[in-house]
Amino acid sequence: MSATSYGWLVLAFPLAGLFVTSFGWRVLPGRLPGWLASAAIGLAFLASIGALVQLQDLPAEERSVVDSAWTYVGTAGVGADLAILVDPLSVFMCLVVSGVSFLIHVYSVAYMASDRGYARYFAYLNYFVFSMLLLVLAANFVLLIVGWAFVGAASYLLISFWYRRTTATYAGIKAFVMNVIGDVGLLIAAFLLLNETGSLGYAGVFEGAEDAFTRNDGTLVAACLLILVGAFAKSAQLPLHTWLPDAMEGPTPVSALIHAATMVTAGVYLIARTHPLFELAPTAADIGAIIGALTLFFAATVALAVTDLKRIIAYSTISQIGYMVLGVSVAAYGAGLFHLMTHAFFKALLFMGAGSVIGAMAGLQDIDRMGGFRRAMPFTFVTFTAGALALAAFPLTAGFFSKDEILAFTINRGGWYWALAIVGYVAAGLTAFYAFRMVFRVFYGDPVPEARELEEGHLAHGEPQNPMSGEPEDADVGFPGPEHHIAERSWPMKAAMGPLALLALVAGVVQIPGVTDVIEHFLEPTFEDSRFHDTAPTEGSELIGLVVGGLLAIAAIAVAFTVYLRRPGTADRLRERFAGVHAFLFNKWYFDELYDAVFVRPTATAGSFGRRVVETDFVQGFIVGGATGLVRAGTSFARAIQTGYLRAYALLLLLGLAGLALYFLIASS
Amino acid sequence: MILPLADVPAPEIDYRELSPIMATVGGSIVVLMVGLLRSPFARRTLVPALTAVTLLAAIGLTIWIWEPGDREPIIVRALAMDTLTLGVSILFFVSGLVTIVLSLRSDAPREAGHGEYYSLLLGTITGMVVLAGAENLITLFVGLELLSIPLYVLCATELRRRTSLESGLKYLIIGSVGSATLLYGLALIYGAAGSTQFSGIETAIGERVGLSDPLLLTGIALAATGLAFKASVAPFHQWTPDVYQGAPTPITAFMAVATKAAAFAVFLRLFDSTLGLSQLQWAPALAALATATIVIGNVGAIAQRSLKRLLAWSGVAQAGYLLAGVVVASELGLRATAFYLAVYLLMNAAAFAVVVARERVSEHGDDLASLELLGRTQPWLAWPMTIAMLSLAGFPATAGFIGKFYLIDASVAGDYTWLGIVIVVGSVVSLVYYLRVVAVMWMGRYEVELPGLPRRRVKPVAGWSPEADARAQPEVAAVAIVFAAATIAFGLAPDPLFDAARDVGTALSNLR
Repeated sequence: MSATSYGWLVLAFPLAGLFVTSFGWRVLPGRLPGWLASAAIGLAFLASIGALVQLQDLPAEERSVVDSAWTYVGTAGVGADLAILVDPLSVFMCLVVSGVSFLIHVYSVAYMASDRGYARYFAYLNYFVFSMLLLVLAANFVLLIVGWAFVGAASYLLISFWYRRTTATYAGIKAFVMNVIGDVGLLIAAFLLLNETGSLGYAGVFEGAEDAFTRNDGTLVAACLLILVGAFAKSAQLPLHTWLPDAMEGPTPVSALIHAATMVTAGVYLIARTHPLFELAPTAADIGAIIGALTLFFAATVALAVTDLKRIIAYSTISQIGYMVLGVSVAAYGAGLFHLMTHAFFKALLFMGAGSVIGAMAGLQDIDRMGGFRRAMPFTFVTFTAGALALAAFPLTAGFFSKDEILAFTINRGGWYWALAIVGYVAAGLTAFYAFRMVFRVFYGDPVPEARELEEGHLAHGEPQNPMSGEPEDADVGFPGPEHHIAERSWPMKAAMGPLALLALVAGVVQIPGVTDVIEHFLEPTFEDSRFHDTAPTEGSELIGLVVGGLLAIAAIAVAFTVYLRRPGTADRLRERFAGVHAFLFNKWYFDELYDAVFVRPTATAGSFGRRVVETDFVQGFIVGGATGLVRAGTSFARAIQTGYLRAYALLLLLGLAGLALYFLIASS
Repeated sequence: MILPLADVPAPEIDYRELSPIMATVGGSIVVLMVGLLRSPFARRTLVPALTAVTLLAAIGLTIWIWEPGDREPIIVRALAMDTLTLGVSILFFVSGLVTIVLSLRSDAPREAGHGEYYSLLLGTITGMVVLAGAENLITLFVGLELLSIPLYVLCATELRRRTSLESGLKYLIIGSVGSATLLYGLALIYGAAGSTQFSGIETAIGERVGLSDPLLLTGIALAATGLAFKASVAPFHQWTPDVYQGAPTPITAFMAVATKAAAFAVFLRLFDSTLGLSQLQWAPALAALATATIVIGNVGAIAQRSLKRLLAWSGVAQAGYLLAGVVVASELGLRATAFYLAVYLLMNAAAFAVVVARERVSEHGDDLASLELLGRTQPWLAWPMTIAMLSLAGFPATAGFIGKFYLIDASVAGDYTWLGIVIVVGSVVSLVYYLRVVAVMWMGRYEVELPGLPRRRVKPVAGWSPEADARAQPEVAAVAIVFAAATIAFGLAPDPLFDAARDVGTALSNLR
C-alpha cells in the first residue's frame, strides 16, 4: 500500500469509530463503546506508522504525495478536491495526534466510566480525532477549513459535554465564538490567496505566491495576518486566548486531549504548513513571533497566581504554545514542532494527573484546598512530577531540549530577536516555578482530609456540585457521573499515564543538538525550501543555551522549594506585600473585564437596541412584513387571473404577444 | 409514362441517423395493432411491454449514433440528429418509460384503450424528436403538431372524469392559439429571410435582411410566443395548472418533463443558433419573460393545495430558470440548459411518482393532505418526495443545486448577472411551498397511541382494491426511489452528466 492509502486509512478508522459509537449507543453494553473508540484510534495510529514507513521508503525529494479521492464541482475553476497531502509534516502530526489521542481514549475508558453520556462522549472524542486528522492531512485550504471548523465544533461539544452545567455551556459558547473569529480570518485569507494565486491547493498557492507577490506585498501580509488570526484563535494566543481557561469546564481528559495536546497546537501546524507564505511576508512572521513572545510571558505570569489546578495548567498551555508560535515564526520549524510533540506528552500527562487528583478531591479543583497527596497517590505523584520536570525544562527531560532549541534559534536570528529570547528565558524561569508550585502545593505539606481518607483506603465522596459556582447537582445525564476515579485504582488510567511519563522524561533524546537530530532530519523535506534552512545555530551556542536553560530551571525549582516547603508562609507574605501585582495576575491581567467593557457590553447594548428597534419595527414590520405582503398580494393576483375561463387565458396570451411585438418594434426603430 | 417521374431524385436518407425516429414510429404502429387483440394479456401486458421495448431500443440507437460536434442535417437538410437532439431525445424516452410504469395501474389506458394510449404516447415522443431536431421551419411545425395533437388526446383519456375531458379540451383550444401564433411567426420569418432553412435564415440575417428589420422582429416575437406557450413561460403559462391538474397524472408527469425539454431544444436551436446574430435584439425581451416567469411561477405556487397544480406552478418557475440559459446564447448556456433539463427529469419523475402513489389510495386525492404523516407511515415514499422537493428548491448535495449553479454561472458569464440574482431570489421564495410539502410529510399531526392497546391493522372495507393498495404498487415506489437516488447521486458526483452536457454543448457550433 502506498503512503496515501495509509493516509486514507488514518482518516477512515476514527470515522468508523464515530459511526459505531454514535449509532450503537443503545446496544453497546458497558465500557464497550470506550474500547471500540480507543481501538479505532489505535488503528489510526498504526496506519500513521504505516504511512511513515512508506514515506521513508521514498527518495527524500519525493516525500510529498497528494492523493485526490474525488473532485467536486470543477466548473468555477476552484480546485476543491477531497485530497490529502502525505508528507513528513502531516505524518508527524498524525503520529502525535493519533498516538496521544489513543492514550487519552484509554484513560477516558476508566475516567468517564460512571458518566451517563459514556457513548456520546466517545462519539464526540472520535469525531474530534477524525476532524483533527482531516485538518493535518488536508491538501488544500478548503479541506483545511473544513477540518478547522470541525475541530472547533468538536471542542464546543466537548467543553459543554456536561450540558446541564450553566458554566460549561457558557464556556462552550465562548470558545465557539472565539474560534469562529479565527475561522472567518482563515476563510478570508484563503479567499485572498485564491484571488491572487488562482489556486486553493497548498502546492498551487505556494508556487503561485512566488509569482504573484513581491516580498512583503501588502495583500500577502494581510493574508498572512488573517492566517495568524485563525491560528491565534485556535491556539489561544493573545488577544484571543480567553476561551482556553474557561474550556477547562470540559471533562479533564478533554482538556488533556483537545485543550493541551492536539487542537490548540493546530495554529502552530498552520504556520509551519504555510511557512512559504510567511517567509515571503517577514513582517507577518515578525508579528507572529512578537505575539508568541508576549503570550508566553503573559500566561506564565498568570499561572503564578491562579489557584484552580486545571486553569494553572491551561495558562501553562497558552504559555507553551507561545514558545511554539515563537519558534515557527522565527523559522525554527523543526524546533517548534519538536516542542509541540514533547509538550503533547508532558501536558497531556499533567492533565491526566490533575484529573486523578481532582477525582481524589471529589471534583474540587482549588489547590488551596489540596495538599499532602504524596503518600496517598504515589503513582499520580511520580507521573505528575515527571510531567512537571519536563514542563520546567529540567535538564535531560523532553521539554529541556525542545524549549531551549527554540530559544537558541531565536538568538541566532540576531538583532532585536535577542529581546524575544530574553523574554523566553525569563518566562522559562517562571514556568519552572509554577510547575513546582503545583507539585509542592498538591503533593507535599500536611495531608488534607481527603488525602488522609485515601491513605486509609476511602475515596472521598463529596456532594455533587459545580466546582466553579458551588451549585448543587445531581448525577443524571448532562452532569458528571457519581463515581470518582483515580489512577491508583484504575489500570487503564495507569496504562495511559505510564508511557506518557516515560516519554516526558526521555523523548528529548531523539533531538539532542548535534547528536541525534531525528525530528529535524525527518521534517527536512518539508522545510528545506526555507530561506533559513542553512542558518541553524551552531552546536556550541545551542549547548550554551541548554546550560543556561538548565540552570534557570534548577534555580527556579529551588526558589519554589524555598517558598512553599522550606519556609511555608512566604507565599502569603509575598501576596500581602505585592497585593496589587497579585490581584493583577490573579485576575489574568483583567483581559476578561477589558473584553467585557470593550466588546461584550457595547455589543449587548447594540444588540438589545437592534432587537427592539431594528428587528421588531424595521425588519419584522417593514422588510419581512413588506416582502411577505408583496408575495401574498402577488399570490392572490395570480389566483385572481387564473379564472379557469379559456377566453381570459387567450386574452392574456394575446396581450403578452402584443407587448412582446411592441417591444421588438420599438427596439427596432 | 412513369419514366419522367423517375428523374426526380429521391432524397438521400441516412437511415443510421434516422433510426431512433424509425424505432418510435414503427413501435407506435405495432403497439396500435397489438392493442387490437382481444386477449387481456396482450392488451394489458404486451402493449406496455412492447412500448417499453421500443423506447429502450430507441435509447440504445440514440447512444449508438451519439457523436459530439456539429452534425450535417439529414434528409435534404431537414433534420439534425446532433447531440442536442439526441440528448433531449434520451430525456423524452426516459420520461416515456416513467410514464409507462406510472400508467400500469392507471385508469387512463383502460378507458381509452391500451393500444391507442401507448401508441399516442410513442407518437408524441416521435413529434418531440422531430421538433428538437428540426432544421427548417416546416419540419419545426410538423414536429410541433405531431407532438401536440396526441398530447391533447392523452390529456382527455380518462373519459369518465370530467376534469380530464376539460383538460384535454382546454389544451386543444389554447394550444391551437399557440400553434397558430407560432405558425404566423414562422411565416413572417420566412418572409423576411427568404428561406425556410435554418442555415439560410442564419446567413440571410445581417446580409439581406437588417438586424432590426420589423418583419423579422415581429416574426421572432410571434415565434417566441408560440414556443413560450409550449414551455409554459409567463404570461403564456395559464393553461399549465389547469391542464396539469386535469390530465391523468402519468401524462402530467410526461408533459411536465418532455414537452418542456422539447420546447427548450427548439428555443436553443432557433434562437441561440439560427437567430443568434440578433441576440442583442431578442435577449432583453426573453430575459424579461424569464423574470416574469420566475416571479409568477413561484408566487402562484405558494397558495396551491393540489400537488399537481403546485408542481405545475413550480414547473412554470423552473421554465423561467431554464430560459436564462437560452437568453445568454452561449455554449455554456446551452450546456447548463441541457444539464438542468436532465436534472429536471430526475426530480420531477420522483415527485410525480409519489403523487401517483398517493392519489390512488388517499381520500384526499392529490391534495397536500394526502401526504400527511407520510414520513411515519411510508418513509419509502416520503424520502423521495423530500429529496425531489429539496432538489427543486436547489439544496446543496442534490442535482438541482448543481443545475441551478450551472445556470447562474452561465447567466453571469453571459453578462446577465441580474438574471442570476433573480434565479436566486426565486429559489428563496420557492422554499415556501417546497418546504411546506416536506413539512406536511414529516411534521403533520401526531397520532397519539393509547398505551396498552395494540394498533389495529384493518384494511379499509370500502374502496380498497389491490390496485389501490400502496404496498401493491411497488413499481411506482421504485420509480420514486430510483429517481430520487439519482438526484442525490448526480448531486454528489455530477461528472457523468457534466460530460454529457459538454457533448451537447458542441452541437451548435456557431455559439459564443
